[in-house]
Amino acid sequence: METTLTHVARTAAQAALLVAAAPLVTGLVQKLKARLQCRRGASVWQPYRDLAKLLRKGTVEADTASPFFRAVPVLVLAATVATTAMLPVLWAPAQPAAVPLGDAILLVALLALARFLLAVGALDAGGAFGGMGASREMTVGLLVEPALMLTVFSVAVSAGTTEVGLLAARRAPLALSWAAPDLLALFAMLILALAETGRIPVDNPDTHLELTMLHEGMLLEHSGPGLACIALATQVKQLVTLTLVAALFLPVGLASDSSPASLAIALGAFAAKVLALAGFLGLVESSYAKLRFFRVPHFLGLGLVCAFLALALRVL
Amino acid sequence: MTVELATRLIDVLGGLLLFTMLLILAAGQVFRAIYAVAAQAAFLGVAGAVLAAATGNVDLWVIAGITVVAKAVLLPWLLIRVVRRVRIAREIEPVIPVHLTLTIAAGIVVLAFHLNASLGPVRQAITGNALPVGVTLILIGVLVMASRRKALVQMVGLFASENGIFFTAMAVSQGMPLIIEIGVILDVVLGALVMGILVLRVRSSVDADIADLESLRG
Amino acid sequence: MTSHLLWIAPLVPFAAGLVMLLVRDRRVLAALDVAASLAVLGLALAVARAVSEHGAVTALGVFRADALAVVFLVLVGLLAVAVSIATVGWMRREVARGEMREDRLRFYFALVHGFVATMVVTVLSDNLGILWIAMEGTTITSALLVGFHGDRHGLEAAWKYIIVTTIGISFGLFGTVLYYGAAAHAQGGVFAGAMNWSSISAIADRLDPGIVRIGFVFVMVGYGTKAGLAPVHMWLPDAHSQAPTPVSALLSGALIKCALFGIIRFHGIARDACGPEFSHGLLLAFGLVSVVVATPFIIVQHDLKRLLGYHSVEHVGIIALGLGFGGRLGTYGALLHVINHGVTKALVFLIAGDAIGRYGTRDMRLMKGFLGVAPIAGTLLLMGAFSLAGTPPFSVFVSELMVIRAGIATGRWVSVAVFLAMVVIIFAGLVHHVGQLAFGAADGHVERGREPLSPLVALVLLAIVMVLFGVWIPIEPDRVLSAATEIVVG
Repeated sequence: METTLTHVARTAAQAALLVAAAPLVTGLVQKLKARLQCRRGASVWQPYRDLAKLLRKGTVEADTASPFFRAVPVLVLAATVATTAMLPVLWAPAQPAAVPLGDAILLVALLALARFLLAVGALDAGGAFGGMGASREMTVGLLVEPALMLTVFSVAVSAGTTEVGLLAARRAPLALSWAAPDLLALFAMLILALAETGRIPVDNPDTHLELTMLHEGMLLEHSGPGLACIALATQVKQLVTLTLVAALFLPVGLASDSSPASLAIALGAFAAKVLALAGFLGLVESSYAKLRFFRVPHFLGLGLVCAFLALALRVL
Repeated sequence: MTVELATRLIDVLGGLLLFTMLLILAAGQVFRAIYAVAAQAAFLGVAGAVLAAATGNVDLWVIAGITVVAKAVLLPWLLIRVVRRVRIAREIEPVIPVHLTLTIAAGIVVLAFHLNASLGPVRQAITGNALPVGVTLILIGVLVMASRRKALVQMVGLFASENGIFFTAMAVSQGMPLIIEIGVILDVVLGALVMGILVLRVRSSVDADIADLESLRG
Repeated sequence: MTSHLLWIAPLVPFAAGLVMLLVRDRRVLAALDVAASLAVLGLALAVARAVSEHGAVTALGVFRADALAVVFLVLVGLLAVAVSIATVGWMRREVARGEMREDRLRFYFALVHGFVATMVVTVLSDNLGILWIAMEGTTITSALLVGFHGDRHGLEAAWKYIIVTTIGISFGLFGTVLYYGAAAHAQGGVFAGAMNWSSISAIADRLDPGIVRIGFVFVMVGYGTKAGLAPVHMWLPDAHSQAPTPVSALLSGALIKCALFGIIRFHGIARDACGPEFSHGLLLAFGLVSVVVATPFIIVQHDLKRLLGYHSVEHVGIIALGLGFGGRLGTYGALLHVINHGVTKALVFLIAGDAIGRYGTRDMRLMKGFLGVAPIAGTLLLMGAFSLAGTPPFSVFVSELMVIRAGIATGRWVSVAVFLAMVVIIFAGLVHHVGQLAFGAADGHVERGREPLSPLVALVLLAIVMVLFGVWIPIEPDRVLSAATEIVVG
């Protein structure tokens, strides 16, 4: 039975780990893509250097931007970092936490809030790219968020709770015995992960051409430390999504106490899962082309149907 | 292999079959649909092997093998050859919007599983979720055929429908008699051959996709 | 001895078909064709005699000939003979006109006999799986025949035919699988002959009604597609009109009846498993919808063979209605209608093919004065058309009257009223169309020649049967039909 203090300390440690490791995951995906394209590619630590560089630079703003625009990067970063507190990275508590810090519904809501703030900020700056990127991003969000909720519910129904840490702990004993609804939910989640992390075939994170930007369009007006905040938030969101997939579907190796041995196992398991999922992202990015925007709803519709069926089959 | 493990594996394979069916429905290109139906037939062969190991029925091994060879290798190869010969455009234009077909497909799945839940103890005669998955595959196969304008995609829908029937047939008691299954597969292959012949003949005499011919009306 | 007949019967046309692939001379092909068909008819009659003397005959554990199968078997044999005789003259004219190439004739004949062989297997099979396989075999062979000419319309019709009927038949396979599952569950495991109709029929009252209901719905939709019941009949007018005329006669006369045979077999099991109301209700619904849907298309039709195709939809609906009304009278009427309609439709199709050949067009508005051009054929056409419309003293009238009386006896007033209304409308439409065709003066470019003997013999043969059954049903067929009715009614 863990005390409130232990729980808070563990949560803080997990959050710090996620935030610190987020740029590294992006670096890994970039490296994998480069290797698949027969290049050497930049170092895996490059995103850290990019963030440092951005923090040193000054801020340039549009004339039409309001004070709210200056606040957006910090708010987005805060919302995204807050979601890291709700995921089981290393520890999976066997009993409900003494201080409930939030469950999966709050997680999805915070991610949606971050998306909303970004979009509003982009509109606030008054640029054409910002407006277009914002409208496209919200369209994608319209399809992704319900599917995400349905997937989470489908898994939550089998475990009886929506608190992700508890869910992972309850599902850990039957970790690899999937049933048909689990498979459908996994496939839906993988499709949604591509959308949430803003990768091909939904969006292209490497480009700044106006016709291919969803996420990048909203970032165009930010600069300097603001841009650094948003870049970090994007990377944290990516890692949060991957950790959510791992917690829902692969809850193995999670520690229940603080002994060094179980911590080491938990850390290793976490690294392996994230590496595997990051590899999946990199492979998909290198194998497919970006979909025309009008076809993105079809792709996401497939994910939505899979998620819906995962929930329906669980109930029927 | 215990019956319980077999039932669980059949459940998982049923989920995989459902997913590949949705892929066929949402496929934007002919090749993706063909690969999806080939994967579906491969899963079907695995299901046959699982059932063979569970029930000890030797015939099922043979049926699983023939299914993989005929429906996962031979028929997709035939389709790909026809596609290359005919050199049709790769994209599939649906008659009904994709969202609508996906929604109808979801409705069909829910309906089939609800139907399954309303049946009585005879459900045990059919392992796992083979019955509702079979019904789903059949009906969604018909949906694919009704909502696509390309002859080859209609054939893919037909093969997917038949995969559904095979799945249920293999899971019923201990599978149907061997001679019947062989006869059925033979018929399927012959039918596919005839369809391929018709598609190619239309291409050579009239430069159109055979499913696009709409002049007989009224 | 008689059990050997059962597996020889399909083997004869199959072997004949294979032999024909090697022959190139047209006359030899025609002679082989007629000989093989006569053999099939002879075997069918021999089986009929054996069944009426000894009861049901089985062979090899998968074949079974009882009174019900005999009805359909003799129909197939009779139509095969008539079509073969007519093909002799038809083929000569087609080759002369350049519609058919001589070197492809052997494929045509081989396919026709393969087609006949698969139909024979369908009606003789006891094993429900073999029934399905043979049914699919008929689809494959007849699809190639429908698109044989290779023109645009023919290929379109052949594609629609094979796609729609294959998916339909797949539904039928699923229904078969469900029946098998129900039987295996009731028996507690797999047993020898588990897929045989006779064994499943014996334990029918122990089958789980839920599964049998679902199975019968799938069978009804599946085999109903092949039979041409609305609303899954869309392929029928195209396929039956675009096929070469002898093939159309076989398709409309024999094939759709074989599909109905399949439905009747499953209906027998469903009747015992979940009560007669369910399957009767379904048959009634499909039958009524077919009759109602076919009527407007018959009225506005211009293409002669398409008109006959829609007519087939209507008559299959009548057979389903008869089965749906149930009881001895309705079932006897339905089975009698199977024979009557098969004979009459084949007759009219063959004459229609002759007419289309002479006039060079299918459009009925352009065809006039057929009676003057070909007196005997024209007279037979008028007789056939009146028969199809349900006029006495022809055979179709008798069976339709029985169906109506059965409907009145079971108290289904609405269905009978709708049916009568449709029949009246169709009578008017058909008489109008055929009258326009037969009377008047023909144009100059119409091919008038003397009427060749070969189609005439077949036509007269069919007409004799048509008139005979309209006036008085001979004792032997009556006995067989009554025995078949007993099997269906249970």
